[in-house]
Amino acid sequence: MGWLIDLLPLDYTDAVVVVGATLLGLTAGALGVFAVLRERSLVGDALAHAALPGVCIAFLATGAKDASTLLVGAAFAGLVGALLMVGIERTSRIRPDAAIGVVLSSFFSLGIVLLTYIASTDNANQAGLEKYLFGQAAGLLERDLVVMAALAVCSLTLVTLAFRPLKTTLFDPSFAGSVGLPVRVLEVLMTMLLVVAVIVGLRTVGAILMVAMLVAPAVAARQLVHRLSLVIPVAALIGAAVGVTGALISSRGELPTGPVIVLVAVGFVVLCVLAAPHRGVLWRARKLRAARRRTLAESVLVDLETAIHAGPPPTAVELAQASGRPARALRAALRDLDRAGMLARDGDRLYLSEPGAAAAHAVLERRELWSAWLEHGWRLELPDAREPDPTDLRASLGDEYADRLSALAAGGR
Amino acid sequence: MSTHAEPTPVAPPPAPLEVRRLTVSYGARPVLWDVDARFPDGALSAIVGPNGAGKSTLLKAALGLIPSDAGQSLIEGRPVKAARDRVAYVPQRDSVDWDFPITVREVVEMGRYPQTGWFRRVARREGALIDECLHRVGMADFAGRQIGQLSGGQRQRVFIARALAQQAPVMMMDEPFAGVDARTEASILGLLGELRDEGRSIIVVHHDLGTVRSVFDHVLLLNVRAIASGPVDEVLTPETLRRAYGAATVTADDAEALWAG
Repeated sequence: MGWLIDLLPLDYTDAVVVVGATLLGLTAGALGVFAVLRERSLVGDALAHAALPGVCIAFLATGAKDASTLLVGAAFAGLVGALLMVGIERTSRIRPDAAIGVVLSSFFSLGIVLLTYIASTDNANQAGLEKYLFGQAAGLLERDLVVMAALAVCSLTLVTLAFRPLKTTLFDPSFAGSVGLPVRVLEVLMTMLLVVAVIVGLRTVGAILMVAMLVAPAVAARQLVHRLSLVIPVAALIGAAVGVTGALISSRGELPTGPVIVLVAVGFVVLCVLAAPHRGVLWRARKLRAARRRTLAESVLVDLETAIHAGPPPTAVELAQASGRPARALRAALRDLDRAGMLARDGDRLYLSEPGAAAAHAVLERRELWSAWLEHGWRLELPDAREPDPTDLRASLGDEYADRLSALAAGGR
Repeated sequence: MSTHAEPTPVAPPPAPLEVRRLTVSYGARPVLWDVDARFPDGALSAIVGPNGAGKSTLLKAALGLIPSDAGQSLIEGRPVKAARDRVAYVPQRDSVDWDFPITVREVVEMGRYPQTGWFRRVARREGALIDECLHRVGMADFAGRQIGQLSGGQRQRVFIARALAQQAPVMMMDEPFAGVDARTEASILGLLGELRDEGRSIIVVHHDLGTVRSVFDHVLLLNVRAIASGPVDEVLTPETLRRAYGAATVTADDAEALWAG
């Protein structure tokens, strides 16, 4: 690990922080996907909180304070917590979320009691255990990094090797069972992987906020990519980037590492949830608004076409009255139509320009095709699983079937 | 006495699925009780019965997906564990998270994993097989889609394509028509008929007695116990339907109407 630290163009402390935070982010990001996609994010939280009494007991038992020894204790406590959660779920009528809550709070309380007890003893060695609450990136030792790196490499290799069984179990456990996969074993394995991620990150982020490093990168990655084989590496990269940024800020500003990393992570997640293409809230809202606006403009176009056929060209006010649309919506639609060059005016009176008339006819034709589908669609016998899209039936059915549909409608009349 | 030589007796083909005295309970409540059932080879069979009759449980217990209290389940005459590669199971559509990050093609590829190995690359000729399975269910144009973008009917088709990819002679499907539009139901029923004609045995948990009558060959009428099983016309009588659905809900007239289709 020394060569890596030397390689980074940073002073020794910063380099250790960067390596530690990278390991944390990579592991927690990649493995957290298994919590988020199973809707078991809170299990990760409980495992992290359960690690605290493990750390304390390991310290009391050995008197040693190096991260590696204490993390072994954390791992044991995590496993006990995991077994308890499964046990409570299986044997009693307590629901999973309640079982998680019970384990989380009882282990964490035990941890706090032990921490306080240790602080009250006159052990010269005791200072520093509270770092496991909120984490501290600075002050990691090189040999701790080696242990963390080994755990990270082992767990990520395991995920790569067992990717297909894991993916299949994650997506469809009944199918996985029907083809003979050991579903129980794989589910336990996924929980073990979470324990490993907690161990790797515990020293840096702390027990209380570790869950954020499991959940946040996975959620952000899910917004950005749409295949599990991409979600895992992207979550790992996001985790690493977030971890390094947060750890550096905290070690420069003498701030607790966990909260700073979590704030950075949450900032990134919010950005992704809002702005990610296709899945982002803003992206979808904009698309919906555009669609509504287009529909409204098309409807007004048809109203106008109908009015012109029926009598003298209407004014905007007459058009609003005839169609029963709110005046504001109508004004907005007319503005859009004007901008697209579909309207012509004679004083107050509205006409359709040549492209406007063509567009109105196209809309009418689409509507006619749609009502033909509703009435005669069942006779069409589509050759495959294509589904009709009401906004553009011709494109979704294909020309051949759209024509056939028109013929059916004409014949039915 | 016939003068012709007696033909050597040929053993009947083993049943695609046979359960003997199968009993399953959730807690103290029995869901399946002493169920004996044997499904015929090369036929389209339905498992029907009222809500809570244990239809889905029967499939799951027969496949060893949930523990059973007692009884035995044989696939083509062998215990399930030894015959996993002979069955393709299509779970209920609602049993998975359809927002899962996976494409249509990847789901169908899962059907190949048991045979191509869980750890090796999918060979190129497998690609052609997957294309064919997608084509058969009419989903060839949707291979690259996210499963979350599909309609209910299309999702069911994807599950069936995955089962086809398993190339197993026995197919077991759990409520494939629940929440599916009429067009998809008709097209899937047509496909099931084709698969049966190719010699596969298909067992479907189903709830619509009307289509059972018109499409299926064999039926098991279930309500915790096996009420009756056999060819559709022999099994679905007013008497057995009353026993399965309860006299209170099925009057003689209703049963008569159901029976008449």
